[in-house]
Formats: sequence, structure tokens, C-alpha cells
Amino acid sequence: MKTIKASYALIIYFLLYLPIGILIIYSFNASKYSTEWKGFTLDWYDKLLQNDSLIEAAMNSLTIALFSSLIATAIGTLGAVALYRYTFYGKKFLQSMIYILIVSPEIVMGISLLMLFAATTLPLGFWTLLIAHITLCVPFVIVTVATRLAGFDKSIIEAAKDLGAEEFTTFYAIILPNILPAVIAGFLLSFTLSLDDVIISFFVTGPSYEILPIKIYSMVRLGVKPEINALCTIMFVFTIIVVLLSQFLLKERQK
Amino acid sequence: MKKIALWIALSLGLIAADKELVVFNWSEYMPESVIESFEKETGIKVKYSTYDSNEAMYAKIKTAGAQNYDIIVPSTYFVNKMSKEGLLAKIDKTKLKNYTHLDPKLLNKPFDPNNDYSIPYLWGTTGISYNSKALGENTVTSWADLWKAEYKGKLLLTDDLREAFGMALKTLGYSGNSTDPKEIEAAYQKLKLLMPSVKVFNSESPKQIYLSEEVLIGMNFNGENYLANEEMPQLRYVYPKEGILAWVDSLVIPKNAKNIDSAHLFIDYLLRPEVSKSISEEIGYATPNLTAVGLLDQKVSQNRIVYPTAEDLNNSEFQIDVGESIKLYERYWEQLKTGN
Amino acid sequence: MLNNSLSRFAIVSIGIIFVWIVLFAFLPQLLVFIASFLTKGSQQMIEFEGNLENYTRLADPIYLKIFWDSFVLALITALLCLVIAYPFAAILARTSVQWRPILLILIIIPFWTSSLVRTYALIAIIKTKGLLNALLLWLGIISAPLELMYTETAVFIGMVYTLLPFMILPLFASIEKIDPRLLEAAGDLGAGFWNKLVKITIPLTMPGIIAGFMLVFLPALGMFYIPDLLGGAKNLIIGSFIRNQFLTFRDWPFGSAASMLLTFLMLALVAVYYRSQKVVESKDSA
Repeated sequence: MKTIKASYALIIYFLLYLPIGILIIYSFNASKYSTEWKGFTLDWYDKLLQNDSLIEAAMNSLTIALFSSLIATAIGTLGAVALYRYTFYGKKFLQSMIYILIVSPEIVMGISLLMLFAATTLPLGFWTLLIAHITLCVPFVIVTVATRLAGFDKSIIEAAKDLGAEEFTTFYAIILPNILPAVIAGFLLSFTLSLDDVIISFFVTGPSYEILPIKIYSMVRLGVKPEINALCTIMFVFTIIVVLLSQFLLKERQK
Repeated sequence: MKKIALWIALSLGLIAADKELVVFNWSEYMPESVIESFEKETGIKVKYSTYDSNEAMYAKIKTAGAQNYDIIVPSTYFVNKMSKEGLLAKIDKTKLKNYTHLDPKLLNKPFDPNNDYSIPYLWGTTGISYNSKALGENTVTSWADLWKAEYKGKLLLTDDLREAFGMALKTLGYSGNSTDPKEIEAAYQKLKLLMPSVKVFNSESPKQIYLSEEVLIGMNFNGENYLANEEMPQLRYVYPKEGILAWVDSLVIPKNAKNIDSAHLFIDYLLRPEVSKSISEEIGYATPNLTAVGLLDQKVSQNRIVYPTAEDLNNSEFQIDVGESIKLYERYWEQLKTGN
Repeated sequence: MLNNSLSRFAIVSIGIIFVWIVLFAFLPQLLVFIASFLTKGSQQMIEFEGNLENYTRLADPIYLKIFWDSFVLALITALLCLVIAYPFAAILARTSVQWRPILLILIIIPFWTSSLVRTYALIAIIKTKGLLNALLLWLGIISAPLELMYTETAVFIGMVYTLLPFMILPLFASIEKIDPRLLEAAGDLGAGFWNKLVKITIPLTMPGIIAGFMLVFLPALGMFYIPDLLGGAKNLIIGSFIRNQFLTFRDWPFGSAASMLLTFLMLALVAVYYRSQKVVESKDSA
């Protein structure tokens, strides 16, 4: 049974990483357009390093993804706990809006948010993009965290209250540690959504803040360039290193 | 590096930062080297913002206004539509001393009769590509050939209803911009017969699908075929005898642009023969700049895929706005794609 | 809006989410709702001439077919994701505590690469002259290459691959919560693997299953880029239909109406689900 389980998990991991492996291999492929192997080259890395605007867009993407997922996780977690613990006027409305946000096609969300921003004096750029991405991510955090809260023993909260704990202390010391896996999951989903969003971002950002997915999709006129494979490879290797390093440091601290 | 240095200089206030120009275009559709030397020459900082389709660009401009942009690069019938709706500024041709280099054959087209609002940037055609190794040489000469039974399941159409209908209309001998309901219906009936042959609709990157040999024949853009030839010389490009579909991507200045003077300066710079030449060489599409064509390597300027002969362009047609008839096209397009 | 009895913490946490949702979700949706009753203009996107025509137009069999096809596509995608992700999440939830965070992060990292680029890589694998066919031919499992590209199979492979983490993560969060002693006790009492699964694990992880289902099914309804690239764009689905209305045909009121209909259908589904939950709960407590 144990080996079956381990191999099932390994197969899934393998399949998840297979396309990434392919793209890393292609980032060294001399062929410009097709997916046939035409020999080894480092040209695309060289070209990438000369392309300041691509690198700037990648940095912008990471920045916006980090900020929007952190804020969305905070708002979403507090929101999910509030929806779970308290009864208040408008609760049903809030719950429905969350599902509406998830089902709403991106183009509808993008254009309607743009109409909203156009009605204010807010210039299109970093801030409007941040607001849009947080809005996109919050429902995903709420649904994930609510999963964990379902079946949470309310008597523990009552006990803490009886012992005189402040509401915030109860949240911080009792609820949060219990739902932490879901909070992390919500954060990871948000980061993923924000990093990959094209359609909403296109409408709500301005010339001062270009992000990578828009750049990539706008290449369709000439076909996505092989430099993009090189860029994705670098970003991928960078993430893996950061994750392994943080895991290592965490272990060291625990020792 | 130069860019970073310039950016530092700008942020330290060493150079006047008020001179700025915002270009809205497909990404990588203007070589970075071209932009950089313009910046160096004039001290104007160019910001480059991107879109993935004319439609998306138009929707954004319609909702939020174009005040953020100084130069936009819409294709053929969007120039028509945007100028009709008063979104574009008139271009002052007295400020463009390089205007005379442009090919008269690509000026004064129906989508902008006097070139009051648009200056051609790059142009191309939508014709037929086929794999001559698999299908044999010289087997395809007309749009009508696509309907041959032997191509069943091997065909690609561009995922663009105006182009697909334009192709069918031309096959039937009508105008690709028809607004006559009877002609549009006839085109629909014709396309319906073609549907079983279609393996894929794609406008994103047809060349990759031809290169992978998932399809052997179908519609394609000339630039895509030209680039694909680097890896697949046997991919032939055909100018169908019923007439090819042609398009021009043009430089326009939105009405409420903030830097109209700089925009004119930039357009005039792009029209310099040597600049136009390097743009065409890097991007792979044809330049409308006649003097620049003369400067090109003969291998390119005599390549019929990129630079068709006058004969190739017999009966060719540029797309123009069809007004309310688009509803009819839409209806038939949906019927085609839902199998009714 | 709030009860007087609520603490300051409650007021703040409710307040933030409430204000955010009203400003950036409700107001934009309200604009879409209003637009859905107006008329397409020839010069302007929207003309202020109210009517119900956009909704009556949607009653056409063509549009019903588009909705139905998309619904089936999203449903099958969500079910496939569930079947693949459940055992995986369960295995992950039972690994040692110190490994769990890194295993979790390793699931999501591939998805930080642009989905367009990943889809192109996927095409390189499944195309007729691709790696999968090369491998299978070499192993002698098949004698002629499989033609997967531009078929429904390719669409499902792409959809499942793209949306899988949205199923795995909520499932993981809810399976991890189960006290392993509960299952041990059941085992001691003679319950077999299937018995434990059906009687204990699945009922206890129902919230996770529902959440994962929602997070896959709902986005899958509106997705169009991946199905179009892999399926050849031969069939219209809601995502591309609504996109076409907003971009190609510039009929914003009609596109808005389609979006509203999608929203109402989905809310109706959720309502039916909650109703059935209540019935089950009241039976349980009776």
C-alpha cells in the first residue's frame, strides 16, 4: 500500500513538472519557431538579458503578485472568520457576491472595473492593478479558509472568551493556528492567480505598469519568442532555489 | 544598460523628463534598437505599452479614453472605425518630410481616403499556405481549392469571422466587405460545406501548426509563412486567383494625446528609409516605404511572399467596417461554430 | 448593518470585507446588470434605451447549446480533477508534518509559469509528432500515432492540468484536519478501507470537496483560451462567446446579459445545494 501511495504521488508530481521540463529544454533549442530540436544554443538567454522591458515586466509581475496575494489573504482570512463566527445583516449578500466573483468571466470583470476606475480620477497603473488583483483573489481565499473553518469546534472559542481573552487574541492565538494550512493554501492560490492573469490586467493597468502576462499574450502578432522560454526557466530555477533555501533555513532554526 | 542609465538620469532630473511619448502596440512589433536610437537622438523617453488584438485595444480606448497614449497601431478597418467615431487626431503631413517615401499603392485606401488620420507602418496579406511535400507542388491556385474533399480534416482557418467570411465571399466572386444579406448568406452556406474539413481555427500562431504538420493546408498570413520557411521550405504561399485579403497596420495619433508634436516627430523618424528598412528586416512583414524596399537585401525584396508583384495583388481587397451588417455575420458565425 | 453586540474586532473584520466587496464587486456587477437592459449603439458602446430584448435573444437554441456545452465541459473537468486530486491530497495530508509545507509549495510552483507557455509545452507533448506518441511508438504500445490535438481529449487534458491545484489545495486543507486516531479507531473496530473512506473520510471532508469543486467548476465555465488552443476553437463555449460580444461584435449589453444569466444560473445551483444541505442536516438532527 505504501509503495502504491508513494508512486501515485510521484506520478502526479512528475506530470505537473513535465511541461516545465520541456520548456526548459526548449529554452536551449536553436529552433526559433517549431518544437523540433535543432541543436543547443544560449542565444535566447543572451537576447533576454538585452531585453530590459521584458525583465522589467517580470519584476512588475512578481511585485504585484506578492502584494496582492498578501493583502487578499489578510482580507479573505478575516472575512472568512467573520462570516463563520458572526451573524450580521448582509451576510447572505456577501456570500453570494463571493460566488458571483468566482464565476464572473474575466472580460466582464476587467471591463466593469475599468468603467469604475474611469469614473474616478485614479490613474491606471500600479494601484488600479493591485485593487483588481486583490478583488480577483479574495473569493478564492475565503472559500479555501471556510473549508477549514467548517466543523471548527466553537466551544473552544467560547472557552477562550470565558477566560477573558480579547476577540483579537482569540483570533490570533486560537483560530489562526488551527486554520493556518488553509490560509497558506489560499495565499498560494492567490499568488498563482495574480501571476497569470491577463485579461483583467490588460484593462485595468496603464502604460506606466506593464506586466509579463500581457507582454507574452501581445506577442501573438509574431508568435511567442523563445526568449520567453529562457525567462520562464530563470524564474522557475529562481523560485526553486528560494523555496529550498527557506526550507533549509527553517530547519536550521528549529534545531 | 543604456536604458538604465537614461532612467537614472531621468529620475535625477539630469534630463528634462517632460518629453515623453507613449506607444500602444503589439509587443515586440517595433524593434527595441529603433526605439533606443530615437530616444538618444531626441531625448524623448518612449514608453511602450502592449495589446493582443485590435478589438481589445479598441474596447479599452472606448471605455477609458486614449489620453494615456500618443501613438497607436490599429489595423485597416479599425482606422476606419476610430476615425469615423472621432477618436483620432488629424495628422499634419507638413511635419512629415519623409512622407514622400511611401508607396502610392498603399495610400489613399478606402479605410482612410486621404491618409488624414493614418500613416502605413507595415502591411501584409492573408492567403493560402500548403505543405507542398505532402500535397504536391502547384496543386493549389485558388480559394475554391480548399473545398476539395481530399483536404478533409487537414485544414486551418484563421479564427476571425471577417477573414473567414471575406475568404468565402471572394470565392463566390463577391466583395470581401459585402453588406448584402443574400451574399453573406451564400458565404455562410459555402463555409458550412467547408466545416467538416476544418481541423482547427487559429489566428494566434498558424505557423506553428503548419510546422507541426497537424494541418497541411489553409489560410495563413504572409509573414507567418515567410518565417516558417526558415524551418520548412516546402510550405508554399499562394495568392488565390479570386483575390487575396490585404491589411495594413497604421500609425495613428489619438485625438486627446498629450504629446502630439513628439508623436509627429516619431512618425517622421519611423518613415526614414533606413529605419523602415530595419523594422521590416527584424519583424518580417513588408514595409510600405518604397525607398526602404530599394535598400533591402534582394533576397527579401524579391521574395514574393513578403513583397507580392502587382499581378499577385489583382482583385485584392482591404477590409473596411461593415457597419450594422456585422450582426448578420455574427449570427452565421455562431451557427457555424455550434453546428447549426 | 451590524449588531450592536459585536466587538470592535468583529466590526473591523466584517467592515473591511464588506466595503471591499461593495466597492469592487457589487458596483461593477451592478453596472453590468444595468447594461444588460440597454441597447447596443452604433457609435457608442451602449445606448440608454431600456428593454428586455437581450434576455429574450438568449432564449435561442444556439445560445442554450453554448451554455449546455460549456456546462458539461466544466462539470467533467471538475469531476476529473476531483478523482485525480482526492487520493493525492489524502496521501499528502498523511506525510510527516515537517515535509508538508514544502510538498504543498512544490505542487503550486509549476503554475507560476505563464499558462500560455505551459500550454505550448503541453502541445509539444501531445501533438501527433510529439513526445507522447514517440514514447508510445518506441515502447510498442501503439502502432500508429494517436491524433490527440484538436480533440475533446486534448481539451480535457489541458483543463485538468491547468485547474488541478485549485482542487488539490482545498482538499488538502480539509483532509489534513481529520484526526488520524478516528480512522485508527474505526480500523480497530473492523472497518475496511472502503468502509472508512465512505463512512468517515468523505463525509468529514465534504466541505473541502465542495470548495474544490467550486474553485474548479466556476472558473472552468468562463475559460476559453486553453480549450480554444487545444480544441481548435471549432465549438463556441460561454467564455469565448462572451468575449466575442465584448470585443469582436461590441455588443456590450448582450454580453452583459449573457454574463448575468451565467451568474443567476450559478447562484441557483448554489442555492439548491444549500437547500439540500439543510434538509440533510435537519434529518440528521431529528
